[in-house]
Amino acid sequence: MISSDVIRGYNDTLILYMLLDGESYGYEISKNIRQLTQEKYIMKETTLYSAFTRLEKNGYIESFFQDESLGKRRTYYRITRLGLAYYKEKCEEWKVTQEVVNQFIREW
Amino acid sequence: METIVVYLDNMFASLPKKPELEHLKQELLFGMEEKYHELKRDGKSENEAIGIVISEFGNIEELTAELGIHPVESEQVVKVPVLTEEEAYTYVAARRSWGLWTGIGVFLCACGVALLIGLDTLFENKNTIVADKGSMLGLVGMFMLVAVAVGMFIYSGMKLERFKNLEQGFQLPYALKASLLRSQALYAPTYRLSLITGVCLCVLSPVFIFATSYVNDDFTPYGVVAFLVIAAVAVFLFIYYGNIQGAYTKLLEEPKVTAQKKEEDRFIGAMGAVLWPLATVIFLFTGFVYQRWDVNWAVFPIAGILSGMFSNVYHILKRKNVS
Repeated sequence: MISSDVIRGYNDTLILYMLLDGESYGYEISKNIRQLTQEKYIMKETTLYSAFTRLEKNGYIESFFQDESLGKRRTYYRITRLGLAYYKEKCEEWKVTQEVVNQFIREW
Repeated sequence: METIVVYLDNMFASLPKKPELEHLKQELLFGMEEKYHELKRDGKSENEAIGIVISEFGNIEELTAELGIHPVESEQVVKVPVLTEEEAYTYVAARRSWGLWTGIGVFLCACGVALLIGLDTLFENKNTIVADKGSMLGLVGMFMLVAVAVGMFIYSGMKLERFKNLEQGFQLPYALKASLLRSQALYAPTYRLSLITGVCLCVLSPVFIFATSYVNDDFTPYGVVAFLVIAAVAVFLFIYYGNIQGAYTKLLEEPKVTAQKKEEDRFIGAMGAVLWPLATVIFLFTGFVYQRWDVNWAVFPIAGILSGMFSNVYHILKRKNVS
């Protein structure tokens, strides 16, 4: 289990990645992140929804309602063109970050 | 499931009522519900599922910071001591122990009365000397039990004494509040079960009186004994489990409510201080002077009903004044 502090700067990237292949909603995204990381990272509910708020405010994702069974109305999210550009930017940033940090990692 | 709704309600309680927040809360609830149902489907128990869902909720401040919303502060910020986690949990433990000892004490008092009635009836039909000895034994037994109970009341009261300053008001750090809310949410099912059991016992207890008097009028006192003991068990449940719940309620109550409640508590306390000793005096007087131990126990249930009535009337009048 990694701590939420370490990954803080990349929560948005994780969520955008989950939206690359199509629209999704809150719980599905958090479940997929959990499965993809083999439960090494579990995104807290509040982290997820504050990220949605931030991403939508910046225009990286957009939300829309979709009616579910039993009269539930669920909010779905899809990635925007701006969001895709931001995602690519973050990927580049991560490569550099990884290179930098790796300089200081000694294998024991 | 209800526990999760209550938890979420509590988390949003201090936030302003805005449509965007209502919407967010709904979304969070959907997610948590779905997670809960999946965990249950994977074979987790009710408590485990709720525990996991709540522990993975996170920190509400993370959300409010992103939304630029601040919790509603009470207008007059009074300087009150901040409670530490240790203090809060010692308080909960002290209330639990207070509830246990007081509950046992009350139970012993009721058993004492039951013992008196039981022995009195048992020896009633023997010759006068034996009957007198029987009553004597019952009386001695009752007073011994009451003495032990009073000891328990004093002992438990002293343990709670050091938390007197909580009445002056206090502040809870955010993390502690969240952790207390979590504990309270997990405790809720136990509390509910104990309430239901207690109420059922209360409702069922008079059945013994009716049943025994139906069989044979001479047996009625034994019915009363059974009634007293069963009702005492119920009262113990109310006191013990009610106190644990009371500890959480006390720690989590809003500061504003406290001032109003303090006045109420004072009234109810003052009323109780008059009513209960009075009932005891009537009980002992009618017992020793008129030898009516067979019926005079009824003074206690009556006092109980009266005390409930007074406090309700007080509430209603109070509310009228406000509006």
